[in-house]
Amino acid sequence: METVINDYISRELVQDPALLPLADETSLLESGILDSLSLLRLVVFLEERFGIPVGDRDLLPANFASVNAICGYLRAREPGQLGAVHG
Amino acid sequence: MGDSPAERLLRSAEGVAYWAAAAPVLGRLPAALGYRIACWRGDWLSRRQPEKRTELARNLRLVLGDQLSPAAAQQATRDWFRLASCEAVDVARLRHGARPLRRLVEIHGREHLEAALAAGKGAILCSAHFGSYNSGFSAIHASGFPVTTIGRWQYKYTARLSSAERRFWDLAYARPVRRHRQRPNIEPWPGRFEVAALAASALRANEVVTISIDAPPLDSDRDRVVEVPFLGRRARLLPGAVTLAQITGAPVLMGFLYRSADYRHQVLEISAPVPMGGETATAFGRCAAEVGAAIQRSPAHWAYWASTADLANLGLIPPGRDRSPAADPLPIPDKRFLPDRTADHVVGSA
Repeated sequence: METVINDYISRELVQDPALLPLADETSLLESGILDSLSLLRLVVFLEERFGIPVGDRDLLPANFASVNAICGYLRAREPGQLGAVHG
Repeated sequence: MGDSPAERLLRSAEGVAYWAAAAPVLGRLPAALGYRIACWRGDWLSRRQPEKRTELARNLRLVLGDQLSPAAAQQATRDWFRLASCEAVDVARLRHGARPLRRLVEIHGREHLEAALAAGKGAILCSAHFGSYNSGFSAIHASGFPVTTIGRWQYKYTARLSSAERRFWDLAYARPVRRHRQRPNIEPWPGRFEVAALAASALRANEVVTISIDAPPLDSDRDRVVEVPFLGRRARLLPGAVTLAQITGAPVLMGFLYRSADYRHQVLEISAPVPMGGETATAFGRCAAEVGAAIQRSPAHWAYWASTADLANLGLIPPGRDRSPAADPLPIPDKRFLPDRTADHVVGSA
């Protein structure tokens, strides 16, 4: 799962090549990779790729702070499934 | 009138009295009388604020130049103050399910909005800080379309407002308007990175999301602006509405509320969907062109003529003509009298 998400963010959302390769623990907010619209793109991707709707209440900085945080959030939403399928 | 603390206080007190006491009464009078009195107040304000009047006339001339005759510029300046006063009456007429206002607002192009929502992806209604746009959005909601607005309530962010003033404008302005919204305003501000996703959520629920796309960008948005032709120049604007449409597949329509010559009747014109093909800046340019055309058709409706700093920020006039906002700790400059014409700013990303 980390690889899939990291690849997507690196390919579609990172504007500054100096931030590549993207580490899973890199802060997506402090580095400026994620803003309002890129978060929306990411949410659409996650919903389509993993089949998990992201609710308004889940749009917290903590859930999208890094690739690791995103994976943690997704695993918490679907414990046992995502790790087996994508992890 | 100058800009000393005492004068500012007096102006603020007059604004509070007008919005708190006068406008609610005017909103209950027969419309012809209520709006006529509002126009008188606008004329009085215009006489009381010669510097503001001069600033308006100068900015109109700087941007529109020969497109506006001296007589038309003078009328636009006078009407700008009248429209500001009429807006308070519009808000006062939002009571009782907004029926008193709806009787005066004719909506043209409902079929475009209905067709857009029939596709099930919601609709983005782009507008501008143009006329009583917030009341117009309320009229749309009250007529049966679920409306959510992306926009900041400016009184929350304007420097130098006391907490009492913020509370007042919330009660006098925001609350009546907010009553006719599907959800609370989605308020962009640096650090609120969930804005676009919340808007997408409203679109997924097949709602109408309104955005005023003419707001000057904040400092933190500088790297996201695009330069597009606007009012015969190139303006720096945020194309977030178009990006949102491209991501969600929601159609983008344009909507402008025009006040008629009798000042009480208004027509809300909703366009067919704007083509979203091409690059983001190209598609956004089409939307900006619609805003520019509305302003050229009726210049007095545009709020930003009174703000030299905002016009410079947009790139419409040279920087350096600004007198006051540099002192503000927030990037939104102090306004002449909240919330007339300037109650919220809207951008497409945060």
